[in-house]
Amino acid sequence: MKNRASSHLFALLLIIGFEIVGYYAIHRAALIRGYETSWVSATRDLLLYVPIVFLVFLLTRATRFAGNWTLYTTAILLFSVGMLVQYRLYSDPEYNAKNKSEAREQKADTQRLRFINENYSAEKKRMMGLPATPPTPTDIEKEPVIPAKYSIGNALASGQTWIPLFSFFAFAVAYLFCLRDDFLLFIQRHGFIIVLVTLVPLSLAVITSSAGKAIGNMTPWEPSKIPFLLGFAGILTARYKDLARTYWGIPSARDVVPLVAMALMPFIPFFALKDFGQMLVFSGAYATLYLVAVRRWPQLFLFVGSVLLVVGILVVGALPQDVQEKVPLLPTLARPVQAALPARIQQRFHLWLDGFDPPSPNVPWWKKDYDEALAKDPKMQELANESAAMQNTVNVDVWFDRVAFQPAQAIFGVAAGKTTGRGLGLGYAEVIPVADSDYIYAAIGEEMGLAGGAIVILALIIFVSAGVRTSLDARDMFTKLCAAGLTAFIGFQALVNIGGITRALPMTGITLPFVSHGGFSLITSFAMLGMLMAFSHRNAVETRGAVARPETVGISDPTVPEAVQ
Amino acid sequence: MLLLFILQNATNNAPQAAEPLEKQPALLSLIYMGGLALMVLLLLLSFLRNRSKRSALAAVAASDLPEEVVQRLGSTATNRGLRFLRWFYVLIALGVFAAHVYWVKYAPESNERFQQLNYKDLRNRRLSETSLRGWILDRSGQLDKALALYKRDAGGNIFRDYPMDEAFAHLFGSDRGDPGLERALFGLQSGAVPEALEIVQGKDIKQQANRDVRLTIDRDLQQEIVNQLKGRHGAVVALNPQTGEVLAMYSNPSYSLKEVQDEATWIRLEADKRDNKLVNRATSEYYTPGSTFKTFMMITAFRNGMQGLTFAGSPGGYVAAPGAKAITDDNGSCEVCGTMTIDQAYEISSNQYFAQMAGALGPQRLRETAKLVGIGAYDSTNDLLLGRKEPDIWNASSDAVKKALAPREATIYTSDKISKYDLALEGFGQGYASQMTPLQMAMLAATAGNLNGNLMKLKIEYDRPPEVYHNVLTPQMALDIRQIMGLVTGGPSGTARGAFASVKAAGIETGGKTGTAQKVMPVYDPKTGEPKKRLKIERDPKGNIIRQYEVLELDEEHPRIDSWFLCIAPLANPQIAIAVIIEGGGYGSRAAAPVAAALVLKARDIGLFGDKPQAGNKNQGTNNQGNKNQGKQNQGTKNQNQNKPRPFGDLN
Repeated sequence: MKNRASSHLFALLLIIGFEIVGYYAIHRAALIRGYETSWVSATRDLLLYVPIVFLVFLLTRATRFAGNWTLYTTAILLFSVGMLVQYRLYSDPEYNAKNKSEAREQKADTQRLRFINENYSAEKKRMMGLPATPPTPTDIEKEPVIPAKYSIGNALASGQTWIPLFSFFAFAVAYLFCLRDDFLLFIQRHGFIIVLVTLVPLSLAVITSSAGKAIGNMTPWEPSKIPFLLGFAGILTARYKDLARTYWGIPSARDVVPLVAMALMPFIPFFALKDFGQMLVFSGAYATLYLVAVRRWPQLFLFVGSVLLVVGILVVGALPQDVQEKVPLLPTLARPVQAALPARIQQRFHLWLDGFDPPSPNVPWWKKDYDEALAKDPKMQELANESAAMQNTVNVDVWFDRVAFQPAQAIFGVAAGKTTGRGLGLGYAEVIPVADSDYIYAAIGEEMGLAGGAIVILALIIFVSAGVRTSLDARDMFTKLCAAGLTAFIGFQALVNIGGITRALPMTGITLPFVSHGGFSLITSFAMLGMLMAFSHRNAVETRGAVARPETVGISDPTVPEAVQ
Repeated sequence: MLLLFILQNATNNAPQAAEPLEKQPALLSLIYMGGLALMVLLLLLSFLRNRSKRSALAAVAASDLPEEVVQRLGSTATNRGLRFLRWFYVLIALGVFAAHVYWVKYAPESNERFQQLNYKDLRNRRLSETSLRGWILDRSGQLDKALALYKRDAGGNIFRDYPMDEAFAHLFGSDRGDPGLERALFGLQSGAVPEALEIVQGKDIKQQANRDVRLTIDRDLQQEIVNQLKGRHGAVVALNPQTGEVLAMYSNPSYSLKEVQDEATWIRLEADKRDNKLVNRATSEYYTPGSTFKTFMMITAFRNGMQGLTFAGSPGGYVAAPGAKAITDDNGSCEVCGTMTIDQAYEISSNQYFAQMAGALGPQRLRETAKLVGIGAYDSTNDLLLGRKEPDIWNASSDAVKKALAPREATIYTSDKISKYDLALEGFGQGYASQMTPLQMAMLAATAGNLNGNLMKLKIEYDRPPEVYHNVLTPQMALDIRQIMGLVTGGPSGTARGAFASVKAAGIETGGKTGTAQKVMPVYDPKTGEPKKRLKIERDPKGNIIRQYEVLELDEEHPRIDSWFLCIAPLANPQIAIAVIIEGGGYGSRAAAPVAAALVLKARDIGLFGDKPQAGNKNQGTNNQGNKNQGKQNQGTKNQNQNKPRPFGDLN
């Protein structure tokens, strides 16, 4: 496949073709499960591919796009997987129902009656009080099913329609802006101000949000990631040469202070919002940028050392009690850390390292939830008071009902998916709460198995490689750093999400870029994609221009002097 | 085009009756995934292809520059860092994926906590809700005698019904806790559900699940056991010694399968360590076998040709080693004082004889026999209480069934370094031989009861052909052992002759062995049902506390006296081998033997001995006389054809 619009357009059409196969599979599986999928939402989903194809034409006709198409196609592939899984989940009447148990029973009864009709002998049917007919095969086309209740009005009012459209719009806007030299120059020079301005609406969000969410389940501060990244890239571009000059491995304060101030900027609001996943991703992206821009061994050692120190302190504080007690001195070290760590982080760490065992009800961060659960259910309270063993059992149950429910169901689902998955629509992904957003990888793992997981991970690796290639080819430090930062951001976010579900990392509650139905997160991801594509295009055009006019290989290009050094 | 063609094919194939409905969507999702994988590979290839071109930056260099310089232009320090980070990323991405592989491939097999918490997986409940299991039928195979079936209530809801609920709770198991037959027989564990590829290849879990299963359990015999054990803690196992069929297995107290659907009830049962209702005592509780273990010693003696040995009982008891405590019989001195043969010793249950026999046999021979009859023989006392599961003694259709029924392995200590005293204690079922399960003891009785001296693999599914587990004895040895066992219920001084008088009167020759064992139990708090604990503080000579820990408070003064009985009937061609344990029942002859006697009578009435139940049993005297003759004849001709049921006790 060549890097031509036509080849990639063909690839996109193929992807759409496979999508249709997937949708049909879900439709048939739904009939087996006793419910109907919605034609309206299927059509809506497929229509969303129209702007995707249209964007290809826009890019080629309007801007003669010469950059790397792999970025676009890979992102759309991930997006299509996400759409399919969301379609599967939202079709299930149980998934989003207010009364889940009723929907569940309805589904179960349909299936069981059908099964009896199909397999039971006349005598057995008679014993059950059913008409004594011989076994008859089912024709799922004709069986009564729970009808889909998704109307066109619903579709028009739904975020599932508008968010992708907004995302494509954000993509186009970001792309077009980043093609302009004056725009890039502007943000490079005024990075600090941009970041400060971003802080204002963010602090509003901090005030209005509750438990890290605002406006329903959304996180409207997601787009602020972009200005933060741009700001950091801008200041690094300005300072990276000075930073390289060190005294005994330590750069001068004049260079370090603004950098650190800039780096800390996003952490303040995100800490207040308790969005620790975002903080983790920011750390990853900033570390990448720093390592890319400033490559001096002493600094690397200093940097890596301090990162390890912080991680070490966190881990020490979050290790479960019984592990701590095994190592001498560890409890003494851990106590102050534990006191300082927010309850949520401690909980997440516990879930990660020891998720199947509840902490003792005396552990401060768990005590509150535990007591709350018992207060709600007097029967449990009574049981817990009976004896220590009983309390232990109650503790396990409360733990699984409250905190560990989602991650445990997710991991059971992943395990149930085996290698090729249960088949689209044939798993029980609907039992995982919010499987369409943070836990979408669990749904993929259940219904598509290791194979589906491998597809997603491979696509991510390709995307990141293409992003890194864009950064490699960039001809000025600012776009180089921006491309590297955006790529790192998307890449790390994906890994932090998947790792959280497969328990390779603590779960942090951030979305899988392009795949999750994450509202603002999807918009942000597509805007980032637009910027990356613009940088890729610029590289190609500049290289072409430079090849045409070799004498313009300029001193103005900041990368070249370094290369010649 | 190709795609449409495949799609159409898949659609056309679907409505055929034999195909599972899931096949079509499974195939389609495989096509979908295959397509996506293809696209990803295509993207990867296209990316690699475009990458292999020289770096774009190098292209700006004048073409006449030397190759080295051109390459250096392309790889600045910054770019080297980027490249390094890319590989770093690929590495951690693969690491994250490795975690996914772990949960799919390794956790279900090796992560114990993950397996234990399997019942928290909502998918299990979904699965059992949406797909119906087959019905479980008893020995008769009649639908109206089903043990587990589906019914519809007034509202049209379908529910699983257990007509004998508590009688089968341990065998069947619920959706919570360890899987029982309900979950094992029908493969409805979440982990057993086929993946898309397997569905396409034609595996269908629902068809398998729908298969009705006929058990070897006899409904009426099981009910009789429930009646017999009412109000008592204990267990009964009844096997067919010739085929290994489990005729009945029950552990009291039991629980209700309907009630444990309520979570609070389940939690309460789980925490009740005193009654331990969730534990199947027949397979998973260790008991001291007491005198019933002499059966094992006798089997070992016969196997090694040492049955002719005589030992003397003395009023002061037998002292195994200088300074050791003297071993006496149950009356405190000797039941028979003087030289005894093995049949005498077995009939009156002489501890002194079998203590000396154990010494004569030695650990080596005990170890050999133990392995043959399914008892784990260990060289380290630490291994005795591990409670390994022993699925291999089952002759079952699937590993899941074997696992669900697997008993805890009964163990004895047979190290060559065992002290003489400990060995002597093992000889009459005390000391390091205290880890026997009722099932294991029933298997010992069944070994003696098998006409060929074989221990059959146990089976609970009616349709499976019998399988031999091990050959333990020759037919002649088995016959001799049965004769000796017959003395216990029929001999002039047999310990169970009183309890079996009615059986004898009914014309059934039986064999058996009583057993009585003391067990020191923890003190339970009457309020909570929790074992009481007390703080134990260890101090060094100066009085400083070294460490403190909680120990169970044991009631040393009032040990529980468990009552055992092993039984085979009818003696000439045993069709049933029974092990009865009654916790705190007192002497074996008093509590357990009458239960066994009632069960033998019941089994005869049901027709398990090969004849139809008799309406009235008036001429008992003549019957009895005839029986004895018949029995002798049978012993003389020694019919090897074990499958042919022999009329026994019915000459009218």
